[in-house]
Amino acid sequence: MTNLPDFRYVRPTSVDDAVKALAAPGALPIAGATDLLPNLRRGLKQPEALVDLTAIGGLAMLEETAEGWLIGAGLPLAALADHPSLSRHLPVLAEAARAVAGPTHRAAGTVGGNLCQDTRCIFYNQSEWWRSGNGYCLKYQGDRCHVAPKTSRCFATYRGDLAPALLVLGAEAELASAGGRRNLPLAQLFQDDGAAHLTLAPGEILVAVKVPRNDRLVAGYAKLRVRDSIDFPLVGVAAALERDGDRLVRLRLAITGTNSAPLAVSTEGLEGEAWDEKTAKALADRLNKTAKLQNTTTIGMKYRRRVLLAAARRLIDGLWEQGKAP
Amino acid sequence: MTIRTLEKREAGAVGVRTPLIDGVDKVTGKAKYTADLMVPDALVGKILRSPVAHARILSIDTSAAEALDGVMAVATGADTPIPFGVLPIAENEYPLARDKVRYRGDPIAAVAAVDEATADAALKLIRVEYEHLPVYIDARKAMEPGAEPLHQDKPNNVLREVHHEFGDIEAGFAAADLVREKVFRFAEVNHMHMEPNATLAEYDGDKDWLTLHTTTQVPYYVHLKVSSCLQVDPSRVRVVKPFLGGGFGARTECLSFEIIAGLLARKANGTVRVLQTREETFISHRGRPEAEIRMKLGMTRDGKITACAEECIQRGGAYAGYGIITILYAGALLHGLYEIPNIKYDGWRVYTNTPPCGAMRGHGTVDARAAFEALLNEMAEELGLDAFAVRRANLIPSVPFTTLYAQKIMSYGLPECLDKVLKASGWAERRGKMPKGRGLGLACSHFVSGTSTPKHWTGEPHATVNLKLDFDGGVTLLTGAADIGQGSNTMAAQMVKQVLGVDLNRIRVISADSAVTPKDNGSYSSRVTFMVGNAAIDAAKALQRILNEAAAKKLDARPEDIECVDEVFRVVGGQHPGLSFHEVVKAALVDTGTITVKGTFTPPIEFQGDKKIKGSAIGATMGFCYAAQVVEASVDEVTGKVTVHKVWVAVDVGRALNPLAVEGQIQGGVWMGMGQALSEETRFDQGRMIHSNIIDYRVPTMADSPDMEVIIVESMDPNGPFGAKEASEGMLSGFLPALMDAVHEAAGVRPDALPLTPDRMLDLLESREAAQ
Repeated sequence: MTNLPDFRYVRPTSVDDAVKALAAPGALPIAGATDLLPNLRRGLKQPEALVDLTAIGGLAMLEETAEGWLIGAGLPLAALADHPSLSRHLPVLAEAARAVAGPTHRAAGTVGGNLCQDTRCIFYNQSEWWRSGNGYCLKYQGDRCHVAPKTSRCFATYRGDLAPALLVLGAEAELASAGGRRNLPLAQLFQDDGAAHLTLAPGEILVAVKVPRNDRLVAGYAKLRVRDSIDFPLVGVAAALERDGDRLVRLRLAITGTNSAPLAVSTEGLEGEAWDEKTAKALADRLNKTAKLQNTTTIGMKYRRRVLLAAARRLIDGLWEQGKAP
Repeated sequence: MTIRTLEKREAGAVGVRTPLIDGVDKVTGKAKYTADLMVPDALVGKILRSPVAHARILSIDTSAAEALDGVMAVATGADTPIPFGVLPIAENEYPLARDKVRYRGDPIAAVAAVDEATADAALKLIRVEYEHLPVYIDARKAMEPGAEPLHQDKPNNVLREVHHEFGDIEAGFAAADLVREKVFRFAEVNHMHMEPNATLAEYDGDKDWLTLHTTTQVPYYVHLKVSSCLQVDPSRVRVVKPFLGGGFGARTECLSFEIIAGLLARKANGTVRVLQTREETFISHRGRPEAEIRMKLGMTRDGKITACAEECIQRGGAYAGYGIITILYAGALLHGLYEIPNIKYDGWRVYTNTPPCGAMRGHGTVDARAAFEALLNEMAEELGLDAFAVRRANLIPSVPFTTLYAQKIMSYGLPECLDKVLKASGWAERRGKMPKGRGLGLACSHFVSGTSTPKHWTGEPHATVNLKLDFDGGVTLLTGAADIGQGSNTMAAQMVKQVLGVDLNRIRVISADSAVTPKDNGSYSSRVTFMVGNAAIDAAKALQRILNEAAAKKLDARPEDIECVDEVFRVVGGQHPGLSFHEVVKAALVDTGTITVKGTFTPPIEFQGDKKIKGSAIGATMGFCYAAQVVEASVDEVTGKVTVHKVWVAVDVGRALNPLAVEGQIQGGVWMGMGQALSEETRFDQGRMIHSNIIDYRVPTMADSPDMEVIIVESMDPNGPFGAKEASEGMLSGFLPALMDAVHEAAGVRPDALPLTPDRMLDLLESREAAQ
């Protein structure tokens, strides 16, 4: 870690002022800084300006409405993990928030920052010296992907914990830019490209996520990692289901740590079935097809694929039990 | 608990749980570490490191960097013609590479500039031409015939071969009822000391004086190597060790950044700060080498070991460093834990294009001990013997005892350690009856209490402690011993307090400043408590004689009848109310003024190995620390994750001078073993280090740390200071095989490669399924 590059620093107090500042070329948003700061110190970005979002009133809100929850992008992860009502109604969110990094990261890191965090790769998250001696890479400053040299895209991997949990809850993202506000399904915030994994327009920021209420849904998140703190997910899987007797009324599955974006796994045709070996096999096939693992971290693909499938199965088995009518 | 809540006279007394005397300074941030030392006009020193793992240097062009505004000095290998290395017989590392680079990160050039940005810009302007050479990451590949030698004097890339045989190994195996042989693989690990490497170098051009404040465990070695490499009279060099955030062996040799800092300061005729990043600290490395160990044991039906043969290949990295010692230790410490009649050892220390390995907590013995104990457990099971029974069948019969390797054992608390952990862990009731997926495992281990033979023979005592007593009644303790967080300052003060019968706060410790403190051999091989402790006792006794004489004169008694208790001097059994400490000091200073006394310690010759046994200087010690531990762990068969739930560890430390500090050291030792067993490993991809941060190098976190029950066993070593021995390394290696054994009970598989990361564990479970 070395010195930060030179940049202008602004700390607006409203979303309007923030998006105005972010409309300038080379401006980047910053909130908890837990993702951006190490990257800046490694020379992975050279922003002209940093726009600090932490003084914007209301950005750290958490509101419960008749339709569901409105979670501000500026809400610290620790607050999400500890919120009493949320822990009762959407325990999967609290669980995913608690799984992020360590306690000090969660005190500083925010919901928006966690969702919009950069993709990661062993050839990218390295010092300037390390990368320059390796000819840089496709994600930044180079023209070659060291993970998959024959391809023309970057395979850096998305490793956020909140995204899969929010995806299975059917969350929506609220975005703001100088051009105004728009809402879109959370899945559409992401695309499977390691060098450009967010669909945000230049200068656009995430201001909130909306989570619809559905008290019949049971959900969980399984994070696979070596250590119980600090580690990013080697793979992560979130699932939600609604059970009616022996039938799956609803089934949702989403993964992280596999591709360049958090991805929902299609469950089309499986809803209405029982959760049995046949359904499990069908889901495993789809999960297998969706997860495009690459050697972007220190632990190999064989293990990550195997454990992704096994953990998904165990997670849904547990939810199926939990979803029994009382 | 603070010192203040202890009874004043109790704090620091032998056996009393006493917080370290500098503990509060550390936790409040008052303590200054090297990087905290601010000098207003200090220049920034930075090192250009090789981007390739093995190459000849064809040319270096520094002209553009030198021309850059704000650059005050540029140095290359042309400035460093003298190689260095911790062992006088193997000095082959240049502070800045001259002809070749031998690992990715090898220092090539360095700059001192007015600020960090200028220094970075200057490094980018330095042009180096390389001729690429084959890169060897794997020790066996580097040893193959025809491999390109890293160093011309070792054409097969083997730094040192060791071949030892004691007893009759073939007869030993022939006498066994069961002989088993197994290959174990241990990943390379790093110390992960919390404070990254740093040096502040100040050069005074008028006097040609160089002062270094640096992150070292052995200021003496830094002093020697900086003087040698910079070709300056050692009297012109001063080395100070400020507060230090750990070491664990990484800093037991002078490292290139320290010499480079001195060189830059002299070239720039000023002050230079060289602060190393975590990545550079990983590059400096000196960790435990990757090892392939073939262990063979012979055992009788009742569990008696008849013979032990070990073959060990260590991937040593690019330079010699401590390598010869490490490969010797890996065989030397097959001796001394049990009585084994026949022992054979073959070791190869190999040069590879990776950062140099070195000393690390449990130096040399950890992987060998893990392989030995793991195989012992496996064979015990095969013979239907309990793990405790097998250990008891092989105990050293009585002390004093001399091993085949000429090590003298004067105290041996292992039997008691076994009894205590057996009881505490509920082994007899629980082992074999654990719930599915959970298991218990046992292993024993040991380590030296300091090496009895210094690597730099001088004929000087191993430790010297000075005490100064002045008009104010204050006792100043001067020692060269480096307190690296282990608490040696507190220990030394305790020794003096205990002998003199004074308050701990009366003693101020000044340590590790070569201009002030007497030379010490350094903080390595767990030597400080034993040697500096004894030297401190020796010094305190000298001061006591002076004070007792002064008191005797005043009390009209014989000096041998005087005792000082709680700072009051009395005649033993007398009626006089006694003299205060100040009264006696005042009397003692008459005619002499300030009193300075000296104490020393040197291990007697019979503890320095046997000249007839080649290599026996390594592993020669005054006494061993012994440990037995039981680990309880579970295995998640879906994820392969191994979780440690509880550790019971009993350690024979001779005597716990300060049980609070001893417990902390034992916990740290077990915990470090856990990191190596579960998750820590360095990784290289075609010579590229990919673990150079704490995300990818997985040192355990608080969340991974198990409950630990520490049981102190006191065998009262006859030569240790108040009976004390080593207390921080001996328990480390036992964790690895104890965990392997617990995993066997939990999942029915016997690991043969560490760390047992979830992917390795799932592979084992998969091979179990395939076998069924």
